[in-house]
Amino acid sequence: MEFSWESLVFALIAFLILYLLLNKYAFGPLFSVMEKRRELVLQQVEEAKQTREQANVYVEEQKQALQQARKDAYDIIEQSKQTSSKQAAQIIELAKEEAVRLKDEAVRDIENEKNKAVEQLRSEVGVVSVKIASKLIEKEVKDDSVQEELVDQYLKEVGGRS
Amino acid sequence: MHKSPIIEWHGLNIDLSVVLMLVVSCLVVFLLAFIATRNLSVENPGKLQNFIEWVVDFVKGLISSNMDMKKGKPFLSLGITLIMFIFVSNMLGLPFGVVTEYHDKEAAHIFGKPIVSVTEQIDKLQAEQTASGEHEEIEVGVAWWKSPTADAGVSMGLAIMIFVMVHFLGITRNTKGYFKHYVQPYVFFLPINLIEQFSKVLTHGMRLYGNIFAGEVLISVLLKLTAFGVGGWIASVAGLVVWQGFSIFVGSIQAFVFTILTFVYLSQALESHEEH
Repeated sequence: MEFSWESLVFALIAFLILYLLLNKYAFGPLFSVMEKRRELVLQQVEEAKQTREQANVYVEEQKQALQQARKDAYDIIEQSKQTSSKQAAQIIELAKEEAVRLKDEAVRDIENEKNKAVEQLRSEVGVVSVKIASKLIEKEVKDDSVQEELVDQYLKEVGGRS
Repeated sequence: MHKSPIIEWHGLNIDLSVVLMLVVSCLVVFLLAFIATRNLSVENPGKLQNFIEWVVDFVKGLISSNMDMKKGKPFLSLGITLIMFIFVSNMLGLPFGVVTEYHDKEAAHIFGKPIVSVTEQIDKLQAEQTASGEHEEIEVGVAWWKSPTADAGVSMGLAIMIFVMVHFLGITRNTKGYFKHYVQPYVFFLPINLIEQFSKVLTHGMRLYGNIFAGEVLISVLLKLTAFGVGGWIASVAGLVVWQGFSIFVGSIQAFVFTILTFVYLSQALESHEEH
């Protein structure tokens, strides 16, 4: 074993120089970068936490909104069902009234027409019967003997009594 | 065993291979970390950035397994530098070696200075040969490329650095708890506690040195097997495959152990003993 204190001193000097150089040129920047990364990671973890919380809040809100929307839709459907049945009933009612009105009108018209017809018929029947009667009478009167006899008979009866 | 290329310079015995390998290790670690931390991105890190961040997180794990992360944060970059430096150092010696051989003293010069370890060895061998009367060619190998941590000086240097830092921080930041710790649980445990402190620094450095050095010794031994013909080659290659793989494991483990022990010692020194 060869031991020389000169080597020892050289080793010390070399190591110290290496230490100082590394400290100045390598470790300073390296440590600061590692520190920055640590901070970055912490910050990102923090951000991720916040984002997750926000997302949870959003999901909750969305759930409530969806629930609300469903309820609204249900209400709207219910309402429209009610209005539609009401409207249907109304329409039917209206139709019925209309029908009744139309029928009454028709009945009234028919009555009027009938009355008019009857009136007209009556007046015509009078005229016609007068005409017929006059024709008949004309003919009877022209048929001389029988008529004379009949007139005589009437005259006799009137004279006989008187 | 190969010699280290040691030259004398202003009265200092400088091991050139250690200097070279320290420079290479530091360069590799620095370039790796430097390139990995270019074009840093917060949201979309590249492969190298992912790797360096994995290292950072790994060392953070080591620290937080020993002490409060608030207390341990200032030592994060120290831990990363330590584990990367030791790991790269441990790995550097594995893939190849650079060895130069010298046959006479004249050739063993670099930067105009004699390589002391080689000239001494040649002198020694020549003296042996003249004593025994044999005349073989003298050959001294010098290993230039090896793990810097396979040198006791480097490993102990790192360990002593940690030792000094730990005790300095213990004394300045945790004065009461630090001194109280030496007389726990009774006053007569003081010598044992003192011995413990010094055995700590010794085992801390020697464990690293021993593991890596032994690994390199075994590699050079396996390489010497090639001298025994074809069977030796086969055995050498097979042994190297296994041992290189294991050495990667050992090198990683040693880097890990050195770093975690640093934090264990730190936490022991900074720990307040109020609750006892």
